[in-house]
Amino acid sequence: MSGSDELLNNYLVVGALLFTLGAVGFLTRRNLIVMFLCAELMLQGVSLTLVGFSGYHGTWGGQVMSIFSLSLAAAEAGIALALFVVLFRRGHSLDVSIWQDLREEDQPPVEDDHSTDVTVPEPVWPHLAPAGHLPDHTPPAGRYPQTPVGVNAEGAGAHG
Amino acid sequence: MGAHLPLTLAAPILAASRLGTLLANSQVQFALRVLALLAPAFVGLFLMLPRGGRRGSVLARALGGALITGSLALLVTVPLPALGAAVAGSQATILWSLPDTLTCYTFHALALVSVASAVLMITSRNPVYSALWFALVLLGNSGLYLLQRAEFLAAATIIVYAGAIVVTFLFVIMLAQPNGAAAYDRQSREALMVSLTGLLLGGVLLGAIHQVMVGEGRGAVAGKVARPSAVVVANVADTQSATVRVTPETHVRGLGKTLFLDHVVGVEITGVLLLAAVVGAMMIAGHRIEESHVRK
Repeated sequence: MSGSDELLNNYLVVGALLFTLGAVGFLTRRNLIVMFLCAELMLQGVSLTLVGFSGYHGTWGGQVMSIFSLSLAAAEAGIALALFVVLFRRGHSLDVSIWQDLREEDQPPVEDDHSTDVTVPEPVWPHLAPAGHLPDHTPPAGRYPQTPVGVNAEGAGAHG
Repeated sequence: MGAHLPLTLAAPILAASRLGTLLANSQVQFALRVLALLAPAFVGLFLMLPRGGRRGSVLARALGGALITGSLALLVTVPLPALGAAVAGSQATILWSLPDTLTCYTFHALALVSVASAVLMITSRNPVYSALWFALVLLGNSGLYLLQRAEFLAAATIIVYAGAIVVTFLFVIMLAQPNGAAAYDRQSREALMVSLTGLLLGGVLLGAIHQVMVGEGRGAVAGKVARPSAVVVANVADTQSATVRVTPETHVRGLGKTLFLDHVVGVEITGVLLLAAVVGAMMIAGHRIEESHVRK
């Protein structure tokens, strides 16, 4: 099993497919978070390639590289998600298009096609049907004093 | 201007003859065959990408899924000759069948899980679903790591990626998009051009892999790539003897040895990087924004 050409070829092909799918998603999606997930997908494709080579040669190098890329991805995700939170607080949207004034001066603006815009319906939250009477919340008289002990009119007046 | 007129008339004929010689070129034929295998997948991807509208795309999504499945089936079934057919038997499918039946089925099932989840991840209209499909990609990839006896990496992928990173994604999505869907999630930018780009990128990658693995014969990669150093090999086993397997005891021990002896500087630097990332994330996200800087 170790060092077989067949397995190496298949790992390279699947890694290439994952990388391509990640690239397509990164280029075409508009949500910042989905774009970042697509970048992670590209990392996964590369990681699969590294592990395939590691198994083919019977050495640890590819796995070590994969572990490094894993920790890099974790650091990257932390920073990127913090940035997304800040960007969302400023722009109230995760759309990348609203940040396009950061582009170079000579670049034309990206015009998004609004002809097929759909209004996203408000989510319908489940509501509970009333069941029975609202219970009486007033505490039973005599057991708990209505006014706390020790606080009386003159005390409140002195503090006020 | 008049002198240019015959040239203009001759241009289509010239172009046609040039196209003929181009098509007769074996390299172009090889490229076209690879692209033809992949083309249905990217047509399907184009159909599946969100392009506005709410309901009408169910049929398009189903058709796209069928096309992608068909293209993946083509990758497994259709044999493709490599360039320079001097090597005997240099004709193979893009995804080979493995000699061990159980490994073959396991690999193809896991690869199908990974690729199909990746397709659904980049085409789903709700970022929460995207994150969950990404978790499924990670599970498929972990299975593929296990198949290469990278147990530690498989466990680390599930714990770090699926357990921590995807969950953090879900937190941020729920923080930023409590309603789940937004109008910009239902559109994709330049879907046609991007699908073509993906077709070209995938064709180049798969064609290059196929050419190296098939066209240059078995063991070509092993012959070309420099052998690993003797120290590393001594830790494992002889790489060429396929019968020797790394047992689980030596596995993580060997990985740890390599990681903390040969790559100890890298480990330290990664640790510093993670610390810096944590501090940086707190600095960035914990900063309160002045009201005047808020847009809209």
